[in-house]
Amino acid sequence: MRDETEEDIEQIARELRVPVAVGRSLDARIMNAVRNLPRHTGFGLWSRLITPRTVTVTPLVWGIMAAAVAAFAVLGAMHAGQDLHRAAKPIASALFPAPKAADRSQRVQFVLVAPDAKKVAVVGDFNGWDASHVGYQAQHRGGGVWSVTAPVPLGHHRYSFVVDDSVWVADPTAPRVTDYDYGMPNSAIVVQEQK
Amino acid sequence: MSVVARTLIALMLVAPQAVAQDARLSERLDKPTLIAVSAIVDSARVAKLPTAPLVDKALEGAAKGSDGQKIVVAVRQLSVQMGSAKRVLGSSATPDEIKAAATALAAGVSLRDLARLRSASGKRPLTMPLAVLTDLIVRDVPVGTATGLVVQLARSGVKDPELALFQRNVRADIDRGADPSVAATTRARGLVLRSTGSGTKPSE
Repeated sequence: MRDETEEDIEQIARELRVPVAVGRSLDARIMNAVRNLPRHTGFGLWSRLITPRTVTVTPLVWGIMAAAVAAFAVLGAMHAGQDLHRAAKPIASALFPAPKAADRSQRVQFVLVAPDAKKVAVVGDFNGWDASHVGYQAQHRGGGVWSVTAPVPLGHHRYSFVVDDSVWVADPTAPRVTDYDYGMPNSAIVVQEQK
Repeated sequence: MSVVARTLIALMLVAPQAVAQDARLSERLDKPTLIAVSAIVDSARVAKLPTAPLVDKALEGAAKGSDGQKIVVAVRQLSVQMGSAKRVLGSSATPDEIKAAATALAAGVSLRDLARLRSASGKRPLTMPLAVLTDLIVRDVPVGTATGLVVQLARSGVKDPELALFQRNVRADIDRGADPSVAATTRARGLVLRSTGSGTKPSE
């Protein structure tokens, strides 16, 4: 009985061991089928991210997430002022660059007491040493006092008064400079940003 | 090709650039002066020195009716002084600091004293201290005394508005007949005492 059974099994096994005959065109047909499958249009991770799916979250996980969001909000509020300011500053500078010092100016009043003068002008680094510059012609205020208030760029400048188109007079109230190159005196002014 | 011909060609090549630099220069300087000044300005630009003070110096000379040679000498001298000033003050010095330092050097301040002032001022701008220092020297305060006082004021952290007030007070004292050195020393001592509150006396 046992021998018969073993014989049967051996017979079945022999049948199974016979290689299956596969047609030569099988490989080509499989590859064609693969090529006809729809292609992925994006990266795998991206596809997974944008594909709608149902996510199950337990109340405990919800609680942890809410606590994390609250913690970020509190920390963010604590540093928002300075960090935002720090972050915004370079951006603002890039978008709206501050003008160079030479482009910014302050209005400066120049005063000279010259009772006998007929005409007084201010010349200096700030107006190309041009005695005819309209904006720097002093007006007689009476009592021999001449003055003009004019824009002067921020920075260090040398200047002088020109009286009656011929006499060069240093500003008696300002620091002087040793400009002896041309034999006539000059004054100095340091214009700074008003705080 | 003769030397003259080569020079003329070189001038023809340089001149248009020179004229393009600043129309005011070409309006107010004669051609040889313009070319010479423009060459100095170009050299200064290559050396990364501020060029505006050089142009202003030339314009000042023209406004004062100086001859071309005087203008070229003055512009070249300023360029040299600005170069020296920049070497002492460092590459972070602003154009105004370099300009003020060159003026101080012209007044007789030494490069060593300029370095002392830079060191005493830390990172604070030097323009105002240098303007005040130059003014003191012009008003006959001996260079050594003036430099020592301004260095001491800078070291004490005296701010620019206080320095400007100091300059005005010293000038007023001198105008009223005070000895320049005594006036400057006295005013500086008061300012240092006020600034530090520690009774430090300025070096004399």
